Amino acid sequence: MSSETTTGATQPARPDVERLHLAGLHAPTDAVLSVRDLNVRFNSENGAVHAVRGVDFDLMPGKTLGIVGESGSGKSVTSLAIMGLLPPTAEVSGSVRLNGRELLGLSDKEMCKYRGNDLAMVFQDPLSSLTPVFTVGTQIVEALTIHHPGMSRAAKEARAVELLAMVGIPSPKDRLKAFPHEFSGGMRQRVMIAIAIANNPRVLIADEPTTALDVTIQAQVLEVLHTAQEETGAAVVMITHDLGVVAGMADDIMVMYAGKPVETGAVDDIYYNPRMPYTMGLLGAVPRVDVAEKSSLVPIEGMPPNLLHAPTGCSFAPRCPLASDACLDGEPALAPVGGEAGHAAACIKSGSLGGSVDVHEVFAAPPVPVSRFDAIPREERSTVLELTDVRKHFPLTRGALIKRRIGTVKAVDGLSFDIREGECFSIVGESGSGKTTTLLEIMEFHPDQDGEVVIGGLSNKQAADTKTKARMRRELQMVFQDPTGALDPRFTVYEVLAEPLQNAGMDRGAIRKRIMELMQLVGLQPDHVNRFPNQFSGGQRQRIGIARALAVNPKLVVLDEPVSALDVSVQAGVINLLDHLRAELGLSYLLVAHDLSVVRHISNRVAVMYLGKIVEIGAVDRVFDNPRHPYTRALLSAIPVPDPQLERTRERIILQGDLPSPLQAPKGCNFATRCPVFAALPPAGQEKCLTLEPPLEPASAGTDQQFACFFPDGELDEDMLVAHEPADQHAP
Amino acid sequence: MTNLNAVDPATVAQDAHLEHADVVIGKTTIIFRRFLRNKTAVAGLAIFLALTVFSFIGGFFTQWDKETIDPFNIGMPPSADHYLGTSQAGIDLYAMTVEGTRISILIGLVVGLVSVLIAAVYGCTMAYFGGKVDKVMLFILEALIMMPALLVVAVATSGGGEGLKRNLPSWLLLIIVLLVFSWMGTARLIRSMSMSLMQRDFVKAAQYMGVPPRRIVWRHLVPNIGSLLILDITRGVTAAILAEVAFSFIGIGIKVPDVSLGVLIGGATSQVQTFPWMFWVPLTVMFLLTGSLAMMNDGLRDAFDPSSSSTGKAKKAKARKTTVEKKMA
Amino acid sequence: MLKYLAKRGITYVVMIFLTTSAGYFLAVSSLKPALLEQERIPRPTPEQVANSMRLKGLDPDLNPWERYVDWLTGILTRWDWGRSPNGAYINAEFGDRVWISTRLFLASIILTLVIGVALGVYSAARQYKFQDRVITSYSYLAYIVPAPIAYFLVQLGAININETVGERIFFVTGISTPGLAPGWAQFVDMLAHYVVPTVAITLVGWGAYQIAQRQYLLDNVNADFVRTARAKGLTRNQAIARHALRVSFIPVAQSIAFTIPAIFAGGFFAEKIFAWPGVGSWSIDAISLQDVNAATATLAYGSVIFALGAILADFATTLVDPRVRVQ
Repeated sequence: MSSETTTGATQPARPDVERLHLAGLHAPTDAVLSVRDLNVRFNSENGAVHAVRGVDFDLMPGKTLGIVGESGSGKSVTSLAIMGLLPPTAEVSGSVRLNGRELLGLSDKEMCKYRGNDLAMVFQDPLSSLTPVFTVGTQIVEALTIHHPGMSRAAKEARAVELLAMVGIPSPKDRLKAFPHEFSGGMRQRVMIAIAIANNPRVLIADEPTTALDVTIQAQVLEVLHTAQEETGAAVVMITHDLGVVAGMADDIMVMYAGKPVETGAVDDIYYNPRMPYTMGLLGAVPRVDVAEKSSLVPIEGMPPNLLHAPTGCSFAPRCPLASDACLDGEPALAPVGGEAGHAAACIKSGSLGGSVDVHEVFAAPPVPVSRFDAIPREERSTVLELTDVRKHFPLTRGALIKRRIGTVKAVDGLSFDIREGECFSIVGESGSGKTTTLLEIMEFHPDQDGEVVIGGLSNKQAADTKTKARMRRELQMVFQDPTGALDPRFTVYEVLAEPLQNAGMDRGAIRKRIMELMQLVGLQPDHVNRFPNQFSGGQRQRIGIARALAVNPKLVVLDEPVSALDVSVQAGVINLLDHLRAELGLSYLLVAHDLSVVRHISNRVAVMYLGKIVEIGAVDRVFDNPRHPYTRALLSAIPVPDPQLERTRERIILQGDLPSPLQAPKGCNFATRCPVFAALPPAGQEKCLTLEPPLEPASAGTDQQFACFFPDGELDEDMLVAHEPADQHAP
Repeated sequence: MTNLNAVDPATVAQDAHLEHADVVIGKTTIIFRRFLRNKTAVAGLAIFLALTVFSFIGGFFTQWDKETIDPFNIGMPPSADHYLGTSQAGIDLYAMTVEGTRISILIGLVVGLVSVLIAAVYGCTMAYFGGKVDKVMLFILEALIMMPALLVVAVATSGGGEGLKRNLPSWLLLIIVLLVFSWMGTARLIRSMSMSLMQRDFVKAAQYMGVPPRRIVWRHLVPNIGSLLILDITRGVTAAILAEVAFSFIGIGIKVPDVSLGVLIGGATSQVQTFPWMFWVPLTVMFLLTGSLAMMNDGLRDAFDPSSSSTGKAKKAKARKTTVEKKMA
Repeated sequence: MLKYLAKRGITYVVMIFLTTSAGYFLAVSSLKPALLEQERIPRPTPEQVANSMRLKGLDPDLNPWERYVDWLTGILTRWDWGRSPNGAYINAEFGDRVWISTRLFLASIILTLVIGVALGVYSAARQYKFQDRVITSYSYLAYIVPAPIAYFLVQLGAININETVGERIFFVTGISTPGLAPGWAQFVDMLAHYVVPTVAITLVGWGAYQIAQRQYLLDNVNADFVRTARAKGLTRNQAIARHALRVSFIPVAQSIAFTIPAIFAGGFFAEKIFAWPGVGSWSIDAISLQDVNAATATLAYGSVIFALGAILADFATTLVDPRVRVQ
């Protein structure tokens, strides 16, 4: 297992001075980037925040190190400290050596020799990371000019075209003159990568490069990063919160918690044999898209510590189910774990943990809740929501003075489905597929809508007067994506929860009682009702949002990406809560999510949407295990799985390009422009796809799976299939 | 998607607060404390209050009033009898300054408060209804912005509209005209802020719960633009005082026999060389007034700004020093 | 782009029409020139006054609506903006005065913008340092002084300089010394008249731009794209100069819309105080002379200036922001 890459700090017990000294003398001479005892402090209103506390690692040429952690764990600060991009108020100490040359302490000007040349970085948010007023070409050429002032104009332009082609931007020559706002998010991230690799860096730091992107685009960008690494031979530091993203590409992993590495080692050791409870918890907290597991997720209770005070014990101890008094006595250092070279964990109990320990037992994952409806066949349960042929079309106009209609955006185009009691129904698809519009159409509930929406027996066509609407609102409530934005910052929790109850005409005493009930129901302390939302963590805020939705006892709760804004460890708790509430209260859910793993974990049925239409629908296990529509197959294939061996070997479908604009959608099947099956079809078959619209038809008798494709078993186009050679760089 | 990368010491610090949440401080308290910590702002508030009190009770400290002519002291510099001297007509300047300050503060406060009120109602209505209503109201608003206010002031106060002029004192007329032309900028700001608030999930949540529009505006919109409203009140008061002085200075605002700071300053320009105190005294009062308001406004803005760096400056300076020392070592 | 400008243009024409019409009604119902005429000595009979007014198209016996229709017909058919109570034609008076006003403001507008933006950038680069504090404090000071008083103080200063030197270097009032032969002497005379008002208007005007530009630049100093530029190998200052600066111009360009009318409004005061016979001082005189047509014409002029400013701002914004360029 990549023994030459030592993920440092195997001499943790030594004092800092000695470690620093060693960094100069004993660091592997061939390490391209060597970090020792990196510490970063910020001064805040409340005192010094110690954001990074003693990070050590060595990065070998061409290798990939994954730094994994939740928000506030110090992973991004580490990367910015290496780049020398922290604000001048930050205090950075320790040692960062690039090819043996010390970088810390260099002036901004001296650092410029390395930044963008040997040391490059790709940032998280592609939308704001490019200067809006310069063309993409100018920005790439700038990167070349800085480090090669002698290069001719023509040569720089040729190189820019070459770079754009390398990161997969079609017709790169013309696109040089385009401005960033003319590119989609995924395309902009490609441009960012092109800028980063312009000067063949030795080290490329990617800080959550795909977090802001759709799964299909994430797969594309990860592929581009892979190509970039192959082309340049750069060593990569990949920073992420998603254990799936790094599983396939990293050689080594460093898990960070509260500013400190808590477990380091080769990727397989970390994933298959974690020795630190936090790592185990993180792995157990992520649902898997590839297995029909029916176990609860591992919730990690509590919050990460603040970094204002030096910890006196293990910083994870307050959240650790295994913590004992010994854990509070001094912070444990990274210590080698027996038997595995380079595997180290900062836990006094790491010796007793290992392959055979079940994380669900350690973290006491709750039992899988069983709903009273589970036993009743679906057909016999009553319908809580039914959509029949719902459409939402927006006119697309151009022209300032006289608006010409140049087309129609079919955001939702003839949608029909129903949700039965006690069921969780999910809609998945890329952004722009019409998921959110569907939710808005349901919430709107207006007689002028195109198509019928029936909520708990009330139809939008029959009556939409205030009274019916009020009755409908009591049947249906919503939980929003961003828990912070969904709560009025000026309301206390009590006021937040009281609002729907007052609106329902309850008296004060009853409201008070109900609020206390709700707080308990969602696992919050009832005596916290007088606090403001900003005094709660993200997960707790989402619980408040759920409590508010449940206040009036609705039958159906609409969940719009309920966990996507939360950290993984917190996410698990909220998912478990939703699962539990559905069983206990007999609720039905309509869930919209882009994370297919979450969908698989929590839903009974799923619909896959593409450009306003359902392309495949059915029971979740059926659809995910046996997807028929090429789009469903592509979506599922795009999800990285936290299983390094599987990730390295599996073949994946990489869809080309972005979601097409509605104007470019063909007359027949919407998906034809990106379809891997279509691309491999003979001309006659292609003709059929382009002219006829495939109807939604049952897959086989006896299942409720339906899909809309003429050639579900067609061969896939080879260009869109990617498999990395297993022997590539991970030979055991 | 949350930005998981934000290197934001403020959030870390806030999280630290959460840990010791026994000391839960309300937002209002925090803002109030921040304001109090800002020395300049507190000084501004003190000066403004002192001037207001002076303008009401100052008249009791002298036997003279703004109309009585002292035939023995004409155009005299400050003396024990006339604290601030007299005009060339022999009227006590102290008495006139007290009266003028009161009128100026009155104009400022009324225009500042009422125009923000109009702006809030107009802006929120536009944002809430949107569509056609918004378009028409925006057109009216822009047309009003386009009107040169000064000309209308001039027409209204100097025109032969005898009816108006006879029935209303000139300061009231000026207040009305200033009001008509002072609320548009704020209304536009409130409109755009409310529109972005309308897009916020907590407003949507209230709508989906079936909370009636009126209650949403009152309970969600107004409190959330409260800080903007308060800032605009102080700004509006300053602007109105400045406008009064400017208009009266060139002779189209307040008209004699009414007195205001602008009238006093404007009337004294022709004799700056001979009776300098007649010019500088009311000018100084005006500076104190507008200056104190600007200081308050600055402090309030800092106190409302969540990303404000106005606090903890001492700590930062200290920290920087230690860094420097480290580097030198 | 052209279409967009055309659309904006039409909107503004409608607005100008409405504001001017509203202004006409306000003026016609509150300004009564006949009352002034009656105070002449020897006192004319009311019939005489009405007759003379009728001849000039200012018939006081007609109701406001009839007068409005007459007035509008005159403009639309003959581009005739009517006459003053003293018989002068508005059209003739107007041309000269617009030229005088424009001459006065053009230099000031350009100087205000250039100095304001330059100082804004300079002070942002030296945030919290001595220079920044001085410059920014000055701008705040400019904010709390009413424009006419500031002009007056500049005028006083110029007079003081003249007195100290004992020679008349600056002219503090008027636009030129009559009777000078064309040539060098006239040019120097013109400069001497220009300096004081231009300096006064500029001194008062740049503060707002300095504060705005400083703020916008500071807002962008820590933007993500500046970090990207630094990651490419630019120093912090280079990244700010090349990337943040250009982006920070966008909101400033948008605010031009309000500068031009603001300086024009300040122009009333400037013309009055420095005794320049431009549109501003004319309008105020017109009102005190109860001159309905002149007052309305100046109001229309003000609206046109505002519309021009707004269109110019649109234009400037498209120049600096490519996102607006492609619709």
